[in-house]
Amino acid sequence: MNNRITLNGTADAQGVDTLRKTHHVNLFRRFILLTVVCSLLPLLAVGWWTYLHYAGFAHTRMIEGFETQLEHHRRVIELFLKEKSAQLHLIAHTHTRAELVNGSTLNDVFDLINREYWTIKDLGVIDARGNHLAYVGPYDLMDKNYAQTFWFTPTMEKGLYISDMFMGFRKVPHFIIAVTRTEGNEKWILRATIDTEAFRSLVENVKIGKTGEVYLLNRQGIYQTSPRFSGKIMSKAGYPVGPIHDGIRIIEGHREGRNRIPRQIVCQTWLAQPRWLLVVRQDFTEALEAVNHANRATLIFLVLSAMMILIVAGFITRHMITIIKKRDAESDQLNQQLIQTSKLASIGELSAGVAHEINNPLAIILTEKQLIQDLAAVDPVTLPELQAQLKDSTQQIDIQVQRCKRITENLLRFSRRTHSLIEPVDVNQFLREVVDLMEREARSGGVRFLTDLKNDLPVILSDPSQLQQVFLNLITNAIDAHDQKGLGTIRIHTRSGGEPGIEVVIADTGIGISSENLNKIFDPFFTTKPVGKGTGLGLSICYSIVRQLGGRITVLSEPGKGSEFTLFLPLRPPREFMDQMAETEPLLERKVAA
Amino acid sequence: MKGSKILLVDDEAVFTANMSKLLSHRGYRVKTAGSGEDAIRILEAEDVDVIVLDLKMPGMDGIATLREIQKLGLFSQTLILTGHGSIDTALEAVKLGAYDYLTKPCEIDELVSKIEGAWEKKGDAEQKDRSAKIQKVIESPSAAFDLFPRKKKIG
Repeated sequence: MNNRITLNGTADAQGVDTLRKTHHVNLFRRFILLTVVCSLLPLLAVGWWTYLHYAGFAHTRMIEGFETQLEHHRRVIELFLKEKSAQLHLIAHTHTRAELVNGSTLNDVFDLINREYWTIKDLGVIDARGNHLAYVGPYDLMDKNYAQTFWFTPTMEKGLYISDMFMGFRKVPHFIIAVTRTEGNEKWILRATIDTEAFRSLVENVKIGKTGEVYLLNRQGIYQTSPRFSGKIMSKAGYPVGPIHDGIRIIEGHREGRNRIPRQIVCQTWLAQPRWLLVVRQDFTEALEAVNHANRATLIFLVLSAMMILIVAGFITRHMITIIKKRDAESDQLNQQLIQTSKLASIGELSAGVAHEINNPLAIILTEKQLIQDLAAVDPVTLPELQAQLKDSTQQIDIQVQRCKRITENLLRFSRRTHSLIEPVDVNQFLREVVDLMEREARSGGVRFLTDLKNDLPVILSDPSQLQQVFLNLITNAIDAHDQKGLGTIRIHTRSGGEPGIEVVIADTGIGISSENLNKIFDPFFTTKPVGKGTGLGLSICYSIVRQLGGRITVLSEPGKGSEFTLFLPLRPPREFMDQMAETEPLLERKVAA
Repeated sequence: MKGSKILLVDDEAVFTANMSKLLSHRGYRVKTAGSGEDAIRILEAEDVDVIVLDLKMPGMDGIATLREIQKLGLFSQTLILTGHGSIDTALEAVKLGAYDYLTKPCEIDELVSKIEGAWEKKGDAEQKDRSAKIQKVIESPSAAFDLFPRKKKIG
């Protein structure tokens, strides 16, 4: 069992330790919480803000993109239709009916129109009664009468008509453009069937991502082109088209009646002529994929940052707690030293008073003894027994008074403020002298000295007489510790201290100090020596002297094996001590002069 | 020196009584005083060679008494006796002009030797003073008028 104390350890140290531990744990939690609140929250706030801002921005851009696309498609379709209408118009007005009906003029015109690329399936001239006057095209439609068809009347009324997709006589989805011309009193119609493939490719070949599609609907909600996914040409769309509106309309969300499909973004606009609804549609997730990607990156960045912060906060906090623990331990030790010092100070005051009070009766006892001796000298006692007893008694009085005086002197030395001189001390040389002084006494007790004095020690400023007292006390104790052992060694070792100063180790192989006594050895009046042998002041004097000189004294002891006292002495005494010295010095000079 | 006149000042009556007997046995003429005030009264009335003064007394303490004694301008030497606890005060007393100090309890022989030392010093001081006065009178006889009435008063 190895006991170590620096000073008086208190009994409730354990309780304090537990308290400290909970305190440290709480502190750790609070630090972490604070760091998290102070750094993670702003980080999250910035992340959230960025997300919102960027998402909004990206969304706007996407919508703008859709609008541009829609606008573009509309223009393409309208241009196509306008161009075809204009061509027919031109033909109708540059040729008379007779010219177109007779000969091969219609054939020539048909070839000319389709020369660049195939856009017109057939071309026909129809009179006001609906009879086919001339026809160019793949079908056999010459004998058809169109008077009852849905487009005949509006064409005759408006002069220009673009039909919806219809099956017609040929049972193939197609649509027609018809223009009228009035020659004299007679109206006639030039009708062209638009090549469905050419027209549909304008719309259907547009591919937007994986889920995007572009299509046309008429006012009844019937597909005018085949959408990529949603349906087939001439079939009815799954949702109502709603009333005609101006400009571009954007709808986000699930299309009514079709809950299972993902959220979509739909961009639509009505064409001017014919009244078809142009729709550009895409799955929301795909449209916003760039945003989602950016968001994922941001999220990963945030999580990484948060983790970094947590880890760093953990490390920093641990480090801080370690520092705090160390500080706490230091302050505990300091507090204990303070308690010890103040305890010694109050005991010092008390003992000075007690010593003084005891000295007075001692002085009287001494004078009484002297009186008896004087009388005995003047008139020798005749009775031999009385004479012997008298001699014995006065001798014993002397011895006991001397013993008391030694106690009071020790008490006073313990309490007294120092009046000695500070001068350079070569500790090694000094220790050698002390060892020389004690060698004889040690040898009679069977104790040998081993000295291990380092040569490179600095010369310190200290009080030689007080140091001598400290060393004498410690060495005397070390010798006394071998009383029951007979043989042993005292090792005296010097070395440079951890901080500027010198360490002196005085280790013995004596009986050691039990752990319960270890706490008390520096207390005044504590002694394990037999009654009359020790005053119990030696170590407390050592302690107060070393403290005054700005040093420390620590003890390490193993019962039965020995004790080791380590003294730390600073290079110079503390300032207060020097100031005190300066006050008392003139007095000392005066005393020397007297 | 036998026949010297000693004044013991201590509030411990037993101590002064015993000490007085011991010193008388050794041939001194001893007077005792139980307080600083008593001591001053005695000193004003008679001439004393050595004063043995305790420092710690109720009422006027040793230092105050010493100051008063100094005011009287005597050649008497003061020996301080202290309970050792008040060693600071003892040193202060020495600074104020006391001859020396002794710590209680002390052997009678120790005290006697210090008293002898004090007595010698008193003799020296008187001698010095006397020579100085004679010197002054020689230099200027009229100074004798200033010197002797005072001497008379003390004597």
